[in-house]
Amino acid sequence: MFQLLVAGLTVGSSYALVALGIHIVLRATRIVNFAQGEFTIIGGLLALTLVQLFHANSWFALAGATIAGFVLGLIFERLVLRPAARSGEMAVTIATLGTVFILLYGHALIPGWGSLPQPLPAFSGDAADAIALGSVSVQVQSLWVLGLLFAALAALYVFFERTYFGKAIRAAANNPTGAKLVGIDVTTARAVSVGLSIALAAYGGTIIGPITLVGGAGGTAIAIKGFVGAIVGGLESPAGCVAGGLLVGVTEKLIQGLPGVSYGLSDPIVYSLLLVGLLLRPQGLFGLPSAVRD
Amino acid sequence: MSARLRADTRTLPVLALIVVAFGVLAAGNPTLAQAGTYAAIFALAAIGLSLLMGNVNQISLGQAGFFGIGAYAVAALTTAWNLPPWLSWPLAALIGIVTATLVGLGLGFIALRFRGHYLAMATLTFGLICAGIFHEAKFLGGAIGIEDIPYPRFGALTISGYPAYWFAWILALATALLTLNLLRGRSGRAFEAIRNDELAAEVLGVPTRRYKILGFAYAGALAGLGGAVYAAFLGIVVPDAIGVQLSISLLLMVVLGGSGGVSGALIGAALIGFLDITGHQFENTREVVYGLLVILVVSAAPGGAFGLIRARLGAAPRAPQPALPATRSVTRTIPAPAGGAPLAVSHLTTRFGGLVAVNDVSFELTRGTLTALIGPNGAGKTTLFNAISGIGNLSEGRVTIAGIDVTGWQPHRVAALGVGRTFQNARLFGEMTVLENVVAGAFRTERTSFGADLFALPSARHAERAAGDRARHTLARLGLEPLASTLAKDLAFGDRRRVELARATASDPWLLLVDEPAAGLNAGERAALTTDLLSLRDAGMTLLLIEHDMRLVMSISDRVMVLKFGTLIADGAADTVRDDPAVVAAYLGTAN
Repeated sequence: MFQLLVAGLTVGSSYALVALGIHIVLRATRIVNFAQGEFTIIGGLLALTLVQLFHANSWFALAGATIAGFVLGLIFERLVLRPAARSGEMAVTIATLGTVFILLYGHALIPGWGSLPQPLPAFSGDAADAIALGSVSVQVQSLWVLGLLFAALAALYVFFERTYFGKAIRAAANNPTGAKLVGIDVTTARAVSVGLSIALAAYGGTIIGPITLVGGAGGTAIAIKGFVGAIVGGLESPAGCVAGGLLVGVTEKLIQGLPGVSYGLSDPIVYSLLLVGLLLRPQGLFGLPSAVRD
Repeated sequence: MSARLRADTRTLPVLALIVVAFGVLAAGNPTLAQAGTYAAIFALAAIGLSLLMGNVNQISLGQAGFFGIGAYAVAALTTAWNLPPWLSWPLAALIGIVTATLVGLGLGFIALRFRGHYLAMATLTFGLICAGIFHEAKFLGGAIGIEDIPYPRFGALTISGYPAYWFAWILALATALLTLNLLRGRSGRAFEAIRNDELAAEVLGVPTRRYKILGFAYAGALAGLGGAVYAAFLGIVVPDAIGVQLSISLLLMVVLGGSGGVSGALIGAALIGFLDITGHQFENTREVVYGLLVILVVSAAPGGAFGLIRARLGAAPRAPQPALPATRSVTRTIPAPAGGAPLAVSHLTTRFGGLVAVNDVSFELTRGTLTALIGPNGAGKTTLFNAISGIGNLSEGRVTIAGIDVTGWQPHRVAALGVGRTFQNARLFGEMTVLENVVAGAFRTERTSFGADLFALPSARHAERAAGDRARHTLARLGLEPLASTLAKDLAFGDRRRVELARATASDPWLLLVDEPAAGLNAGERAALTTDLLSLRDAGMTLLLIEHDMRLVMSISDRVMVLKFGTLIADGAADTVRDDPAVVAAYLGTAN
């Protein structure tokens, strides 16, 4: 049970980071990025390249992948989101789906990445290393994942609450017109928000990589679970997004742990549960906004 | 019929010719024939999605789920049955299509709860659930799928290889034709109204929820049909081919070709179907190109390929409309409602959180009279209108129309009783012409069924003609014929108001709620408006009018009610109300 819980929190960490990324972009641009999960995959692959080509250690790879994610996010915002936004909400949704295709099929074309998932070295020791916590053994990497998740959250908190630039981004998201009037560059604030969001996705893909492997076609599922986490927790609340993402991970692992449930059935069950939950409580588990709003 | 639909109707025969020409060319070339067959299979599903996206303004990222239902129904049933081959496929396909339709109804019902991104996410989740079930269900062959699906056989003709090209395209073109019929009929007019303005459509009597669900069911049925043909053609169904990627591919086809109607869907499906087969060695690169193309299209050419073609063709020639005599003086008699006062409101209260917008208001209207509802800004006049017409919930009280308690009814049901209304900000269907707007106004007078629309039965054609005549008569009555083919979004402000009045009266309602019709009109337009309103009343209509122009109110009203902070403070003949000290105080303030 405890083992499943830890496993759930571990995969849930990547969903939480995706949920948070979706939240940041949604707040700043009113856009839901369906490609968020694919960027998680790309982030893990970038880290893999850094490790393979430059024999970088895990920390260097993590920093590199995160920074590369930020740059990718800026490019994505400029070349995809901003032009499509002129044609309306449905157009942007479709453009992010086009991006899913580009990343999903495109990453297989890049030398060294391919279409099959590959292992990424663990942050310390070997990926299989475990330590005993009471009667259960826990993968060391799981502890790294949880620790690094909360490190990222703390950094984001400081950025948005304590720095001038973070506050400006929040102001631009809350009230673009008002922000413009007081001299905030709303266009830049939006671009930086998308950059941050993709950086978070890449960060998540790198820290979870040693456990789940990197690459492959699982990005859409990660995006959906992240989004589901965000809705469950309440799209307007960053803490809710993180909690929701973790909850989705735990639910998934608990279902997989049920007797008689095959591994492959857990996803449909998670989705069905959440679709039903959404219908019954469109405002999310933790209250605030409604999923019916647009 | 809108310009877009006319272009679609004109393009379909050209596309059919291309299909025939390609079929003849592909006779000796199995790869080409196979690519063409794929295109037809995708086209079936894409036509449904195109209608859903471009005509009903809903999005679905779960169409592969329906496609899979059709494919697996054929795969599982035809391999399990021992029926003659001419019966086996049609029967299994029918079961698949019916199942897909029912699931589509279910998804449509769920979809009513969501908008925009949330709808995209909910439908994507539906597709993932289906994909998971296909992958895991033992009776569907699990991850391996189902093989050795028998080819449909009709007498000596086996539907595989080259004949499958013709079989699939006959189905696809027939479906396109039926879909065009549907869009030209009453259902299409309902879709078009919903796409332009849901709320305005609803108060004209269009059951918008039902039509949205219908859109999902129709798209589901066509995707199911596509899947049924796919299974028979391929002879094998594997779950990995029917995942989220297929859903997104279908969406890309519709977007690349241009959503709405059938031509765009056919073009998009042909493009991707063709590249999927002939570009095998460019796997992955091909999909990256699709992704890039789609981003380019939504950013630079949202109408897709067909939109570009249409722009190049220019405006289609319009069939001349039969001339009508100058009938401005002609008014129809308005059928009287059965029993009870036209409108009775009792103890109506509406709260928004702690704010009481309408407070315990009661009144009853007399048949064939014009009553004005006046009051300072924020008095709750429009909120009262909304409560009467079923928009938003009232907190307490009852609304009775012609003796029927309509409290809590949806707006289209209230409208269907014979109640018209206009909006303070004239909610016209901007992308439709004036005539099309007014035809939409006649929606509730049309009596025709979905099936009649689909097969363009005489009853559907008759209904369309009748609605058109009615609309032209209404335009003539209000002297608006010169504007008939102007797009509503291009109208001058005063004309917008008059067209909205025409639209609201096209179905001859016997109760009409008019919200600030004179706001922003010049003196001449006000005079015309006064004449129009009085002639409606004289024809037997009961009118309730919100208006700020006191001269207009005092000159035409049989009765004036005054609302202040949600409460009725005066009610009576115009002269009496004008001199009422409470009313004077409400408008001018008191000395102390």
